[in-house]
Amino acid sequence: MFSSSQFEPNSAFSGGGFMSSQPSQAYESSSSTAKNREFQGLVPVTVKQITECFQSGSEKSGLVINGISLTNVSLVGLVCDKDGSKVTEVRFTLDDGTGRIDCKRWVNESFDAREMESVRDGTYVRLNGHLKTFQGKTQLLVFSVRPIRDFNEVTFHYIECIHFYSQNSESQGQQAGDVTQSVNTTFQGGSNTNQAAPLNPVMSSQNDGNGRKNLDDMILDYLKQPACTARQQGIHIDEIAQQLKIPKNKLEGVIQSLEGDGLIYSTIDEYHFKHVEL
Amino acid sequence: MDTSSPSAFVNGALLRRYIGQKVRTVIQVIGSDTGSVVGKSTDDLQIVVRGPSPTPPLTTYLEVIGIAESDNSIRAETWTNFGNTFDPQNYNELCKLANGEFKHLFI
Repeated sequence: MFSSSQFEPNSAFSGGGFMSSQPSQAYESSSSTAKNREFQGLVPVTVKQITECFQSGSEKSGLVINGISLTNVSLVGLVCDKDGSKVTEVRFTLDDGTGRIDCKRWVNESFDAREMESVRDGTYVRLNGHLKTFQGKTQLLVFSVRPIRDFNEVTFHYIECIHFYSQNSESQGQQAGDVTQSVNTTFQGGSNTNQAAPLNPVMSSQNDGNGRKNLDDMILDYLKQPACTARQQGIHIDEIAQQLKIPKNKLEGVIQSLEGDGLIYSTIDEYHFKHVEL
Repeated sequence: MDTSSPSAFVNGALLRRYIGQKVRTVIQVIGSDTGSVVGKSTDDLQIVVRGPSPTPPLTTYLEVIGIAESDNSIRAETWTNFGNTFDPQNYNELCKLANGEFKHLFI
């Protein structure tokens, strides 16, 4: 019932060298699920994401498929409090640095028992399981536990969580596509060319055609200044209006189109913006 | 399910943001003393880790989880061998992302 061979691999993603000791089909599907939201694949998550999803009870990041209680997730973390006293089930807690979650594994066959034996307290493992809520508590019903052998998998897992999250946030109007691009390019030896952002100042509809430098460029120039890029929370639209001496209502439309083009992005709220750094 | 003791992903430069809090980082050991280990963080800064020493055999990279004591030292609670083929650059970028735009997924 919990054998991992049930999962149909949805892509050719073979996991590089991270899972040389494990079958790669267990979570390869998650990287290509962005196109098909109904696909009930294995979602890489952090415990914090699970907690947030349950607390808000909303459909965030594709975690909710067919209702909250039936979702397959993939986690990486440290095993703690392993309790193998019962014959048919092993309970433990997984601590992935963002939180802890209770896990349960049914041990019905010798294969399962052998798998659980190699898992001790303090072992880093890759878990695949079902999320279930029982009496208000969320638990992970685990069907696959593998000790991690190459620890680049730990880094990889968190990056995959970020990637999956940002891909699914695209539909929520954020600049996730560009972020994903920059996440990918950051790992290509530091080259930061963001190919997704066409720099097209001419196409702004705000140009009133009298030869004045258009609003797009003015806003971009302002946001590109080192004093502005250094500010983590971005620049409030009021400040931009003040500095450029342009009424805020004129700026709003331009800012929206700049955001749509992927040249700026909103930060702490919908009024703070930062220039997308190449 | 409990998110009360999260450990922040840090590198040398980010450590100062979490003084007094639980952090995790990967270091490359460059030296050790009685009661403390000196390591190089993924962004090439030096970090001193105090507390119980990791049990040998040690691999090149070690993950240390503990409380940040200052901007370059940690009081270790847990050590994990992270192998010899770990990529510190990737981890470094992860630290930046996990403390920047995607912080809400972690802490």
